[in-house]
Amino acid sequence: MSVKVFGDGLSRVGVREITSGIFWITHCLGDHAKEHYSDFFGLLSNPEDYVSNRIVDIPFSAFLIVDEKSLLIDTGSPAQRANTLTALDYLLGSHALDYLWISHIEIPHAGNAAAIQRKYPGAELITVSGGDDYYYALHGLEDAMLVSVGDIIVLGKHSIEMVDPIFLDHGKSQWLYEQTTGFLFTADWGHNLHEPSHNQCFQFVDEMENSGYTDELFVDDVAVNAWYQFPWLAWTDPDEIAAAVGRLFKQYDVRIFAPSHGNVIRKDVDRYAALLEEGTRKAVEMPHRFAY
Amino acid sequence: MIRMVADDLYQIGECVDGLHGHEAVRFYVLLNDGRPILIDCGSQLYRSESIKELDQVLDGSTPEYVFLTHSELPHSGNLESIASNWPHIHVMVSSILLPYIEIAPVLPLEQIATVAPGSTLEIAGREVSFLDALLKDQPGSQWIYDPKTGTLFTGDGFGYYHPAAECELFSDEVEGGIREQWFSTYHRDAFRFLRWVSPEKLNDALDNLFLRRDVKIVAPIHGNAIRGDIPEHVDRLKQAVTSLCMQYRKEGLDLR
Repeated sequence: MSVKVFGDGLSRVGVREITSGIFWITHCLGDHAKEHYSDFFGLLSNPEDYVSNRIVDIPFSAFLIVDEKSLLIDTGSPAQRANTLTALDYLLGSHALDYLWISHIEIPHAGNAAAIQRKYPGAELITVSGGDDYYYALHGLEDAMLVSVGDIIVLGKHSIEMVDPIFLDHGKSQWLYEQTTGFLFTADWGHNLHEPSHNQCFQFVDEMENSGYTDELFVDDVAVNAWYQFPWLAWTDPDEIAAAVGRLFKQYDVRIFAPSHGNVIRKDVDRYAALLEEGTRKAVEMPHRFAY
Repeated sequence: MIRMVADDLYQIGECVDGLHGHEAVRFYVLLNDGRPILIDCGSQLYRSESIKELDQVLDGSTPEYVFLTHSELPHSGNLESIASNWPHIHVMVSSILLPYIEIAPVLPLEQIATVAPGSTLEIAGREVSFLDALLKDQPGSQWIYDPKTGTLFTGDGFGYYHPAAECELFSDEVEGGIREQWFSTYHRDAFRFLRWVSPEKLNDALDNLFLRRDVKIVAPIHGNAIRGDIPEHVDRLKQAVTSLCMQYRKEGLDLR
């Protein structure tokens, strides 16, 4: 595994090449995960179903496509700002950053947009259309290029296509598909968990299988994370939700699956697509108890 | 704009003209017998006006807490100024939220506490309940109930766009109150997950909440406080949600 890590603890950022020209820029806590996630499963409505001694960790990721034009997908959080900028410098060298694409405006996804634009003043912001001037100003996205589902931006050999974010939290969200490599970015949906004690930080999911990660764990992780991320699943029909996952993978030829908060899947995506469908269905069927 | 909502509860903030009408960006202050509590802290776009108004409402007292409904910028954008003006202030967020990475690093992490949904705590001498937000635009969203004033702070939930002439009016000052259509337009923008939702299930959850809590005021961030006729306004919101869900079904759920 070839990974370059900048900094440590709460601010560390790791960089890995996923495939030629596409890089994973990610933060996770590693040895510090136990300080933040020791009760991760205890907050569920059915913690008894997840009794385990797993100390899990969660990535917060951006992705960089380097081509004739370069494009950064999301920005990482201000807590890792300095190391994210160093990582970008390391990856881009003398290459300009041409586009800064924002999935949605939550702090871990867009919180470094201004800092990145200061460092790369030529970088054009891209975000989802549908808001008014005031909305974009409110979120520091003035003058952004506004895109809609199906729009395509050619970077050179790579072309990105805007994807309908079928599972979202923030109302103005978008996903992204890179047509040449089959790279699908799904922001907050479809993420697994990893265990620092098994050296799974910065690993791809196929590598995690070597340290005991299983399909069963993947399904559970997808379900638990969706339960946290999308509590509105409580009010949905599991068949409709599962069918939507199926349609997504029919519509796009996905060869690399890259959520913001999971390990990247670069092999056996068809198998994992079925597991993602199963895990998301399971999230709907989990008990949801709201505290009134 | 400063307005007293009821008792020791004040509403602060601005509003702007947008595609669908005027949108408010408010936050609230409970004066709390000289130990003020802020609910959210407004957008950085209006920092100067908001901090000036906050100073005026506080009248020299030092705020002890900010309860964030969630950490999105229109709700937390002035946290840096507030932490700079009152460095000992504490922030409370939902335990679903990860402060080290989901809140801008503008005050020491030790001053940010997480609270589990369903907790009732005495904070700055006041009993307050932290609830699950039923309409979330961020997983770590919470609603907050203040039994003393009977106020439910709902973050983005119960937001609405209002006509230009009604920027300063509470619901009981608007003839006919807040319209279903005003709720509907805002919620369509803010909660796009409604495309998947069975409205009966969501509306049952809203009913359960309002049965459980004696709500006299609903205090959204993107709207003025809703005072009085709470059952009628909850019904309008439920109808708005129902219509939106039906509209999505009519338009089709397939990928566009």
